Amino acid sequence: MRLSLLGASLTVPLVLAAGLALAHGPTPQKVSQSITIKASPDAVWKIAGDFGSIGKWHPDVAKATSTGGNQEGGSRTLTLKNGGTLVDGLDEWKDKEHTYSYRSSGDPDLKALPVSSYSATFTVAPEGDGSKVEWLSRFYRGDTGNEPPDNLSDEAGREAMNRFFAEGLKGLKAVAEGGKATQ
Amino acid sequence: MSRPAPLLATFLLALSGAPALAATVWVASQQGAQLSRIEAGGAVEGAAVPAAPATVAAGGGLLFLSHPDGHAITVAEAGTGKVLRRLPYAGQVFGLAASADGRTVFATDWSGHRVDRIAAADGRVEGSAATGRDPAHLVLDRSGRLFVADRESRQVSVIDAARMERVATIPVGEAPFALALDPAGTRLYVGNVRSNDLTVIDTAALKAVATVPAGAMPYGVAVSPDGARVLVTNQGAGTVTVLDTKTLAVTATIGVGRYPEGIAVAREGGAARAYVANWFSDDVSVIDLASLKAVGRLPVAEGPRSVAVAGEGDR
Repeated sequence: MRLSLLGASLTVPLVLAAGLALAHGPTPQKVSQSITIKASPDAVWKIAGDFGSIGKWHPDVAKATSTGGNQEGGSRTLTLKNGGTLVDGLDEWKDKEHTYSYRSSGDPDLKALPVSSYSATFTVAPEGDGSKVEWLSRFYRGDTGNEPPDNLSDEAGREAMNRFFAEGLKGLKAVAEGGKATQ
Repeated sequence: MSRPAPLLATFLLALSGAPALAATVWVASQQGAQLSRIEAGGAVEGAAVPAAPATVAAGGGLLFLSHPDGHAITVAEAGTGKVLRRLPYAGQVFGLAASADGRTVFATDWSGHRVDRIAAADGRVEGSAATGRDPAHLVLDRSGRLFVADRESRQVSVIDAARMERVATIPVGEAPFALALDPAGTRLYVGNVRSNDLTVIDTAALKAVATVPAGAMPYGVAVSPDGARVLVTNQGAGTVTVLDTKTLAVTATIGVGRYPEGIAVAREGGAARAYVANWFSDDVSVIDLASLKAVGRLPVAEGPRSVAVAGEGDR
């Protein structure tokens, strides 16, 4: 027993170090979540279009700060309720098309999300009388080495990203349909 | 681990063939674990392959697939896509380049920071050379040199493929990933994912001669058969940027699917078409190089990443 415990305590930090050293792996993963909202695309975009204002509708975000506005190169820092931090850089923001794309910047915080690098696109489109919001991402698992531990595997990354997007979209729907933050 | 000169001679002979007149386009789907053959008329036929292929390369009537998480390279028939054998690989194989006779395949080891020369018959590693960090794609030129995009070292490593020794490193942009030679072999185009640009390298001087902007996150590069155009897939923008190789000016920006990655150009009769693997959309965009317009979208298995053209001589 003593030996196996010792083995575990030695192995885990090494695996983490290897994962952190390789921000980009060879096998990207994808996730996509969407939700329909009973509000016009303009109204939804007014709430969610501002890159730095995600804290107003995403229930997992405890605090959001941003610099550079909605210009390419703009940045937002999200402190999550789980204690982790995400730093996102804005690649493209299209007001008319109601869409923006961003990617992670800096070293990954595996406590925030067990992924090592991601890019994502957020889009509000018309659907019927209301809107459909789509949020999709391409990312790499938390440990991009050949033998990732379960908590930093492709599957763990997909599960966490899907949950983060789904929870966010539910939160946005609640705000948009509740009409709280439209004005 | 150097090799005797006769092998180099074999390389040179095998590489000097004229461009094929008719070709088969193959697309590898990572999530769907399929090879898809695209016919000139747009029909798509799928062949199952082992899990999670990342890249596909063609040569000598064979196709080679890398499996970064599977410790293996799959060898398949270029005519049918039928899997012939599995070559075990002790590393995280990513980029592949095959000799024109199909007897040799070169592989980058993403986390091993090296390139290996591998016998296609049995997977034996014949030689290894060090690269920079996280080597991604690579190409083999007619004189037997390998050009490797060292993604996290902002450089291209140039390797003598006969001796398997690095002969030069060329600084490029941030996060070089894909690269393509022009038909004459005099220019190498390197897409830089994080600096959103393309580095143009003179392959005689082994120096960068220009850096030109592409779109967001360039992930694939191809040159037209006449050498007049270079095409770059922009993963972040969902577009293909077309540049004139003489002026390096952008002549067109063409909308494709989501997260386009691999791109290859095939001649079809008098025309040439580019095939773009849209990784997120699970389809392939077809671009006519005369009109510079997208002329079709062909559904394939989930997660298409890489495109290879097997020439008439490869079948």
